[in-house]
Formats: sequence, C-alpha cells, structure tokens
Amino acid sequence: MQGGTLSRWTMSYFAAACLMFVLGQGMMLAGYGHPAAAASAPETLVLVHVIAIGWLSLLMAGALLQFVPVLVARSLVGGQLAAPALVLLLVGLLCLVAGFVALSGALDLPLGLLPFGAALLVLGFGLIAAVLTVTLIAARPLPLPASFVAVGLVSLLGTILLGAVFSFALSGLTGDTWPLRLVTGGVPLHAMLGLGGWLSLTAVGVSYRLLAMFLLAPEVERPTSRAVWWAGTLAIGLVAGCVPLVVFAFPGTEMLVSVAMAFTLVAVLLYGGDVVKLYRTRKRKQPELNIHASFAAFAALTFSVLFFNLPELRAGEAAPALVYLFVFGWLSGLGLAQLYKIIAFLTWLETYGPILGRVPVPRVQDLVDERQARLWFWLYYGSVAAAGLALLTGVGLFFRACVFLQLVATLGVMREFVRARRLSSVPAALRVPPGVIRPNLFLPVFTLWR
Amino acid sequence: MSNVSNRIAPRVLDVRPILQSGGEPFQAIMDAVQGLGPGQGLRLLATFRPQPLFQVMANRGFDHEAREVEGGDWDVLFTPRKETIAVATSPDADRSEIWPDPSSYLDLTDLDPPEPMVRILAAADRLEPGEVLFALLSREPLFLFPELTKRGYRWAGNFDATGEAYRILVRAGSTKG
Repeated sequence: MQGGTLSRWTMSYFAAACLMFVLGQGMMLAGYGHPAAAASAPETLVLVHVIAIGWLSLLMAGALLQFVPVLVARSLVGGQLAAPALVLLLVGLLCLVAGFVALSGALDLPLGLLPFGAALLVLGFGLIAAVLTVTLIAARPLPLPASFVAVGLVSLLGTILLGAVFSFALSGLTGDTWPLRLVTGGVPLHAMLGLGGWLSLTAVGVSYRLLAMFLLAPEVERPTSRAVWWAGTLAIGLVAGCVPLVVFAFPGTEMLVSVAMAFTLVAVLLYGGDVVKLYRTRKRKQPELNIHASFAAFAALTFSVLFFNLPELRAGEAAPALVYLFVFGWLSGLGLAQLYKIIAFLTWLETYGPILGRVPVPRVQDLVDERQARLWFWLYYGSVAAAGLALLTGVGLFFRACVFLQLVATLGVMREFVRARRLSSVPAALRVPPGVIRPNLFLPVFTLWR
Repeated sequence: MSNVSNRIAPRVLDVRPILQSGGEPFQAIMDAVQGLGPGQGLRLLATFRPQPLFQVMANRGFDHEAREVEGGDWDVLFTPRKETIAVATSPDADRSEIWPDPSSYLDLTDLDPPEPMVRILAAADRLEPGEVLFALLSREPLFLFPELTKRGYRWAGNFDATGEAYRILVRAGSTKG
C-alpha cells in the first residue's frame, strides 16, 4: 500500500496542457475558429481539439496518473508508460490539427494526417486508459470516487473511437455510408461523451476526494453521491445508446439526449448539494483559494446544464455560449483552480519530502501568493462570463476583447504556477535547505542512481 | 493486508479510583479508546458492570467480555471486531503484533495536513533502532507511507472503527533508517 508516490511525468502533462490552453485562447483572440467561422468549420475543429485534447485531456490524464493511486490507496501499475503516452498524444494532436488545417484548405497538407493523428491519439489515450484501468482493477471493490473515474475512462474510449471513425470519413479513406452518417449526426454525441463523460464525470469523482482532503471534511460515501454516479452513468449510457441509432439511421436520438440531459441535471444538482455539505462539514477554518475559485466553476456547471435542458436553447443560437461556459467556466475554471493547489503541493512534496522532519522546511502555503492569484481568478471568471454574453449577443469584437482579458488572467494564474515551481514565494532562508534538489520546471529530476 | 486483532496486548485502564472519588470516567475511557493501536483491545476495571458503555463500544466496533472479580469489581475486555478493521502495512512489516510497546505517542488529530506527516517523520528520526512510535491522525496519511518506506521504517496503520481517527505504528529498522 504505497498510495502517495509522486507521479514523475505529471508536471510535464500539466506544462503541455497549459501551453495548449494559451495556444487555444490565442487562436480565439486572433479570430480563428468560431464565432468568426461556422461551428462545424475545420478552423473551429482545430480550436476545439487544441482545447479539449491539448488542454483539458492532458490536464486530466496528468492529474489521474497522480491521483488515481490516492483514490484507491495503491500504487500505479505501469507508470513508466506515462512518458511515451504523452509523446503519442502530443504528436497525435499535432497531426490531427494539421489534418483539420488541410481540410480548411489553408495549407496543402495530406488529408491522411487526420486518421494518422487519430490513430496516435487512440494509442496514447489507450496507454493512459490501460495503466489506469489495470490499477483500478487491482483495487476492487472501488471506492466511489474511483467508480466515477472508471466510467470516465469508458467514455474516453468511446469518444476517441468515434473520433477515429470521423477522421477516416473526413479524409475520404472510407466510402461506406455509416461513417458518413456518424459524421453528420454523431458530432454532438462525440462532444457529450468527451466533455461530459470523460472530463466532467472524472472531475466530479476526483473532486469528491480532493475537496474532502483540502477542506479536511469527513470522507463519507453519501447516498446522494452514489445517486450522482448513477444519474451521470445513465446519462452517458443514453448518449452512447444514440450511436447505434445514428449508425443505422434509426429515429429517437433527440428523445434519448433529452432524457440524458435531465439525468445530467439531476446529477449536477445532487453534486452541488454534496459540495455544499462537504464545505459545511469542513474542519479547515479558512478554505484556501483553490476552493473558492472552484465554486465559480460549480456555478458555471449548474448554469450551463440547466439551460442545456431547454431544447430550444440547446439547438438554438445560445448553444455556443452555453458550451463556452461549460468548457471555460466549469472544466477550465476547475482545472486552473485545482492546479493552483496541486502544483504547490506536489512541488512541496518533491522538494522537501526527502528532508521532512530533519530540518525546518517551509509550509505548502509558503509556495503560493493567494492575494495575487485571487485577482487573476476574479478576472478569469469575469471575462469568461462576459465572453459567453458576447457569444450570445453576437458581437465579434466584444468577444475578442473578453478573450483577451481571459488570456491575460490565464497567464497571470500560470505565472503563479511557475513561481510555485521555482519556489519564488518561499522566504530565501528556507528555500533550499541542505540536501534539497531544486525541482525542474516541468521535467522530472534525473539521478544516476535512481 | 493482515489483521492483527487480538494479538496485541490490550491496554489496561483502571477507572475505579475515578469512580471511588465520585468522578465521571467516560472521557478517560474515550481517550483511552482513541489511543488504542490498530487491532488493540481495552481492558477496563470498574466498580460496577458498565452496561451503558457496552452499546457505545459496540457502535465503535468492539465486542465485550465482562466478568465479576473479587470484591464486587468488574473486569471488562473490549476487543475490536476482526472484520471491521483492515490494517495496512509496509511491505516488510510482518508480525507487527510482536513489535515492542510504543516508546512515544503523538496525537496529531488537530493538525492540518501535511503537518502530521512532518511531525511523524521528525519523531521517527529520533527513534532508537527497533523502537516504535504511535500516532493518531484525522486522515489516512497516504503521502507519508512511501516516505517512511524510503527511509527504512516499517509501519502498520488503520482507521478506528468509527472511521474518524487513523492510527499508525512506525518502527525504526534494526539499523537506524
């Protein structure tokens, strides 16, 4: 039982993810993709995949490599596959994006890059999923947070397999009609499986454990939390059930999606109740910034899912604004807020772990400057909300101005990540006691006698 | 995973002096229960059969065995139910039941993580070879385990029956870790 060993490559995943997040927002600022282009245009697909795979999925994969062992109190099986998986994912994403650029006609690149990139992504995500699945299987019966991760991993596989089929159809490698039907009718299912099943259910599961840890709240498995799992899993099951309907051109997907949305809303409301209960039963008097910054993300989740339940909004012009709020308010906001704490904690453990108890070391809080970061989080959520409004009202220039502020706030938060890694906020006298090796910014420290 | 229930000598608590002086021993008993090692029982000596306590202890996962002794006093042995307590141990911590009694006790339940980890590592550093320390925490110290193992300590720990406190025994290796 060796739960809490440091995952060597998690910081590299985080660094790559942050880079992609900046890149994606830079594209929006430059007017690349939606709303300047159509929601289904190749330019928008470039943008969406840089954010969904580059930023959110790499972030989630890095976090799971570190925290699944904590969820199940067991060491990771096959952790050495983390580095090759990261390379596969990055190269795969690059090829996929190049394929979309080819599709847009901006550059004369072979369309075969699409399925090639998709194949690398299937391999990369497959490795991650295999490592995590084997670890989970060894730990059965699973605690509830880990059960969320299990459903998330199944959703991940569904998402990437659907994506792989799309890539074959879009590159013209297959002339069958069913892949073309999937491209026409299955894109929302691909997005719901990815953003809802893989990213959101997993984030919810991990948050149950992390919030209890950070708030020092008792870890009890509430019936409401189990209901969240059931409702979320049913919703994902219904969405997955739509795939064969689309393939065989049967009717009924709209109804199944509506029911799935209703289950999602139930899950979100129950989850919100659980978060409030965790907060109320906390022993930590002064919750740290990562908790307060996560609350805005929970609000964005509730708001976007609530309005997605109205069919006229889901299919209408408000949809992009709701998706924006879901991706940048909920998933990205939660990601930034939790990274803020996780990076400081992991850096503290990596740097001072070997000498803990032998010489005085700084506290985890000494690695961060909450006063500074709080302003950045305010700016971040404020500009996300404003950008969502801009999408709703359709003012392109206003949208880009909001994205500019959002990018500035993101860079501000990321500067805090770098400062934590560099131990910049730590009083100089405590910073590097004898016996301490300074951590690298995002690569593991290699030692000859490891 | 191993289970060490019933194999560690029970802690003995004599509340007869408190009762004879007219005091209320409940808090002393609960403190003693909190301080029990993983799988450890409690032997209670009282001036009467402590009937109300049996339910309290049953809720915390203890069975009892009460017998009257000379002079009308009662000797009650509370033993933790085996199935309620799974003990986690370091890979080389077999036979933790024959470890010596702890030479130091730390109550770290009021400290915010990761401070308990820092305190335990500091206290472990002061152990003589073969000595054992006992610590009580409010959470399972998942990040402490690998650090203890890396430094050559052996450990065994679990939650108490209420799931509110985590008990851990740490033993220094025969050559100091």
